[in-house]
Amino acid sequence: MHRSPLHSAMLYLTVIVVCAIVMFPIYWMFTSSLAPTSQLKQFPPVFWPAEPNWIVYWESITERPLLRWLTNSSLAAAGAVALSLSVSVLAAYSLSRFRVRGGHELGLFILVSKMLPATLLVIPLFVIFRQIGLIGSLWSIVLAHATLIVPFSTWMLKGYFDTIPTELEQAAMIDGCTPLGALWRVVLPAAAPGIAATALYGVVLSWGDYAFARTFLTSAQNSWTANVGIATLKGEHFTAWNEIMAAAMLTAIPIIIIYLFLERYLVGGLTSGAVK
Amino acid sequence: MARQTADIGIARGSSPPPVASIYRSRWFDFNLSRPGNQHKLGYILLLPALLLIAAIIAYPLILSIDLSLQDVKIARIGSGDQPWTLVNYQRLFASAEFWHSCWVTIRLVLLVTTSCFIIGMGTALLLNQVFKGRKLARLLIAIPWAIPEVVAVIGFWWIFDSSFGVVNWTLVTLGIVERPIAWFSSGAGAFFVVTVVMVWKGYPFVSIMLLAGLQSIPEEFYEAARVDGATAWQRFLNITLPCLSPVLGPTLVLVMLWVFRDFSVIYVLTQGGPINATETLGIMTYEQAFSFFKMGYAAAIGVVTLVICAVAARFMVRRVAQPLY
Repeated sequence: MHRSPLHSAMLYLTVIVVCAIVMFPIYWMFTSSLAPTSQLKQFPPVFWPAEPNWIVYWESITERPLLRWLTNSSLAAAGAVALSLSVSVLAAYSLSRFRVRGGHELGLFILVSKMLPATLLVIPLFVIFRQIGLIGSLWSIVLAHATLIVPFSTWMLKGYFDTIPTELEQAAMIDGCTPLGALWRVVLPAAAPGIAATALYGVVLSWGDYAFARTFLTSAQNSWTANVGIATLKGEHFTAWNEIMAAAMLTAIPIIIIYLFLERYLVGGLTSGAVK
Repeated sequence: MARQTADIGIARGSSPPPVASIYRSRWFDFNLSRPGNQHKLGYILLLPALLLIAAIIAYPLILSIDLSLQDVKIARIGSGDQPWTLVNYQRLFASAEFWHSCWVTIRLVLLVTTSCFIIGMGTALLLNQVFKGRKLARLLIAIPWAIPEVVAVIGFWWIFDSSFGVVNWTLVTLGIVERPIAWFSSGAGAFFVVTVVMVWKGYPFVSIMLLAGLQSIPEEFYEAARVDGATAWQRFLNITLPCLSPVLGPTLVLVMLWVFRDFSVIYVLTQGGPINATETLGIMTYEQAFSFFKMGYAAAIGVVTLVICAVAARFMVRRVAQPLY
């Protein structure tokens, strides 16, 4: 298909304008984080600071327990993903390979639990966790985030296992592997990119949670996750927008890096359970 | 107590090894011509996930239905359960706040979903063109999907700041308004900002799904239509939309459910205010449970929300899950 030069120019112009509009909030957070406080409190706004104030990133992690919050977020994500994947890899493999009775119903239940409102689950989980003394502990977040990750990762992994030919395991079992040995030595390595992508999705889900963390981690600032921490910053008496923006950027950066890796798996991951 | 539960969690995660050692003796003669063994293995592999789901999803769900049927404030398990009563539901359906929240939720769902679809469709059609730098454009257009909701909210807080926000500066400079708008003090203003943030977070999903749909439409369809002299608009109406319909339905449901259930964007941005102008059912549930500590009442709102979600999900499950089996 050939295009006239005018048509091409219009197309590129549209693409550039659209990208600029959707990227603006991120650009604006970044610029504002680097602008000196005095200039943020006057018009016209700073579109690019003459002397970028990089030190604000250092200040934002030293003046508040931001590093602690980011660590908590990472620990919660790592724990929730490890717990969820260790059960959902096995379940997904079973749903993909074995005709288990009730598998259909389980599949539907998993699909439906992807749609549970967090505001509904947070109430009974709060009651349970308070009774067993988990409130305020990161373990409550690990378990709560598993409610987000298990349904979706089981579904996504089943999709990946479906694409791996059964002949692979059959060959391994003929060579003397047990079925679990075949899963461990043959299927998992073959599905490794899919498992990695699923794990990273899990991290994105866990990192983005606010409802559970806001409810279960109330007591001490030191136990907060990054989202809970940065959400409180605006309430402070003195609103230093550049520091708030720096803290927000630091919270977003790990996820943006994961996104750059995940982008090519995005369609498969987002559509898992929705379209096939 | 905390440690104990943690240990249970870990033990569940790693239960397969002992199972393997029990079964190893039999598996020496395991082969695919013996389906009986296979079935057992299938169930054993499902077991850890089933136990975990039962503990953290199914049991809490049952508990919340149980709570919604009790007249309790701060709930405890087991200690003298109240008799079941429908009083929470009666209060709920009689309260003006509930119907107000329903109305807010419906408006928000319709507004955000429509906007997400218009922008998502536009960007998907744009990204479906062949041009240099298309991959980069796709990367940038989908990036809001990756920004945590709380971070997005904080960014838009500042953009819509009433004194020094860039939106107010633009509006004043262009002469559209005379003085800066206090976005978060008026109901309409707060509702508008909530919508903007949710659309910005939500359209990439639509865009990605529709792009996947567009790329599965064979180019020959368009060539044939072009030969027959169809205009671009006719091609869009008669080829693109019908071919996208398998993707459109589930995407629509997923976006609506996401808006319907969302908590973080609204809660961090406005806490449902000012004067409940942005209080959706999700926010109302949370506020009743954790600000007013009426957990039975809150659970009732949650159950109603769940029922509405389940009806919507049924539509999707029927259309989507069937071909999977």
